[in-house]
Amino acid sequence: MQWREMVGRLPLPLPLVEVRLQLWAVLLGAFLVVIPHFLSTFYVFLLTEMAIVALFAAAFNLLMGYGGMVSFGHAAYFALGAYGAALLVKKAGFPMLPALAAGPFVAAAGALLFGFFIVRLTAVYFAMLSLAFAQIVFTVIFKWYSFTGGDNGLLGIWPAAFLKSPIAYYYFVLAVTALGLAALYAIVSSPFGYALKAIRENPRRARYIGVHVKRHQLWAFVLSGFFSGLAGALFAFFNGSVFPDLAFFNKSFEPLVVVLLGGMHAFSGPLLGAVGFKLLETFVSSRWPVYWPLVMGAILVAVILVAPQGFAGLLARLAWWRKR
Amino acid sequence: MAFLQQLFPWITNGPLILVQVMSGLSVGMFLFLVSAGMSLIFGVTRIVNLAHGAFYMVAAYLMSSLVSLFPGHPLWFWVALLVSSLAVAALGGLIEVTLLRRIYRREHLLQLVLTFGLILIIGTLVLMVWGPENRTVPRPTALAGSLDIFGQPFPTYYLLVLILGPLIALALGLVFYRTRWGMLVRAATVDRDMLGALGVDVSRLFTQVFILGSWLAGLGGALAAPVVAVALGMDAEVLINAFVVVVIGGLGSFAGSLISALLVGQLQSFGILIFPAISIVLLFALMAVVLIVRPWGLLGRPEE
Repeated sequence: MQWREMVGRLPLPLPLVEVRLQLWAVLLGAFLVVIPHFLSTFYVFLLTEMAIVALFAAAFNLLMGYGGMVSFGHAAYFALGAYGAALLVKKAGFPMLPALAAGPFVAAAGALLFGFFIVRLTAVYFAMLSLAFAQIVFTVIFKWYSFTGGDNGLLGIWPAAFLKSPIAYYYFVLAVTALGLAALYAIVSSPFGYALKAIRENPRRARYIGVHVKRHQLWAFVLSGFFSGLAGALFAFFNGSVFPDLAFFNKSFEPLVVVLLGGMHAFSGPLLGAVGFKLLETFVSSRWPVYWPLVMGAILVAVILVAPQGFAGLLARLAWWRKR
Repeated sequence: MAFLQQLFPWITNGPLILVQVMSGLSVGMFLFLVSAGMSLIFGVTRIVNLAHGAFYMVAAYLMSSLVSLFPGHPLWFWVALLVSSLAVAALGGLIEVTLLRRIYRREHLLQLVLTFGLILIIGTLVLMVWGPENRTVPRPTALAGSLDIFGQPFPTYYLLVLILGPLIALALGLVFYRTRWGMLVRAATVDRDMLGALGVDVSRLFTQVFILGSWLAGLGGALAAPVVAVALGMDAEVLINAFVVVVIGGLGSFAGSLISALLVGQLQSFGILIFPAISIVLLFALMAVVLIVRPWGLLGRPEE
């Protein structure tokens, strides 16, 4: 059997990354805890951003990789989480932690409201309606000066005193992201996750065996929105401010690119993708800021033509060659 | 009525309403050119070409360079219009043959992301060639002024679009419904596999359709260049608008995009009068309502 077919038919999750997951997770965790002490603040910030992007992309991949639903408007839920937390701090005088905890619920509420309509559609129409709702969210944020600050954004969204230092906030983000990823992993390995995959493979057959397709899809949408919102809230306190571009449609393509780069049919895909994406972005855009989109575009085209399963697919291919 | 008049003071101003309708029509015609190409490409190849807006942008930038070559010449504007739209058609053909052809049988998602990658690439190339400053394209001298319509000014250039748009719609209609090639295109929209089984060279048809669709995007961009700011980011703006039009009209439906473009043109024209702050939300709200009530659009077919 050709490797192409092998990779195409591998059941989820992929073996190399998943079988020895615990061991890898422990090693990786230890590495991530120790490493910031050897790095400059710049790289600590980079690692923090990687963790946030990884969580956002993993939340997005619950829909795309596991549910087969492509959203073009996920920036909306990231932004709802960020703005939810920021507004609670600014307008209601909440302390950081409760505001951060509330952010994802704001995003989930938005996902429930919009998702109710979006999951009725499929494929391109699904993507378009999610884009439409995201543009509405963007416009509301952008135009509602008295409440959201419009394009001036909201400034001074800083973390609590004990999380002020870059390393402390990095550990905090790392812990929250790890919890989020663990929750997402539990979701995709649960009966719910398997039902979702069944729907992705064949919605009609899933319905015949008694899976309530739309309800599962809506739940997946809300959960994905929730964790996207969590990433957004983490980002708000990391950045110290929130701006309407968080909801702009460019932002919606970020998790898409990350997931595609990493590989959408593996749980580890978004994580690998986030690392690769952020590294590339940092190094390319610091040297040739103008060419960054060009490089990104060229990589996307190359990934699709050559390695449609992303980094995780390449790893699986490598493992398969070694076993042979 | 008094209440309405208080709310919308322009409601009894007939000439103003007439001018708004006309400018809405011309906006609709621009939208029609771009979205007809997008819808055509989708109908036949089943690819939602996200780079369609980038094609439009390239044509506008080409126009800005070409027109300034011989500024005063009365005929040069039209030559430039033709050259820049044809150049974009050639670009589209090149992209179809080298890239898109390889992914027709793959997942929709990968096709979407590939064309999104093209947006990034084309956008950066445009930035490298033309730089970050906005560019302006002068209108041809004969169409530079404005008409007086019952005391309201109306730019003469828009008249060109009001005449050219329906002509192109008519020409496309004739091609689709009165020629053998048009029949093949319509057949491919319904069932391309069957068409291939009947001995038609589907691959060549795809390339031809892609070139025609890209040419329409190019024509839209070149025509719009004198009335919009030729700037980076115009690709995203027109892409979103064209998307909305195509989705409302029904993906792959030619008549649908015409009706929907005219509708959206009016909505934009009057939306600015009625709800200046949130006119863009109206657009997306309309799209959301259409998608919820009739997901396949006004004149599209439900997907099986």
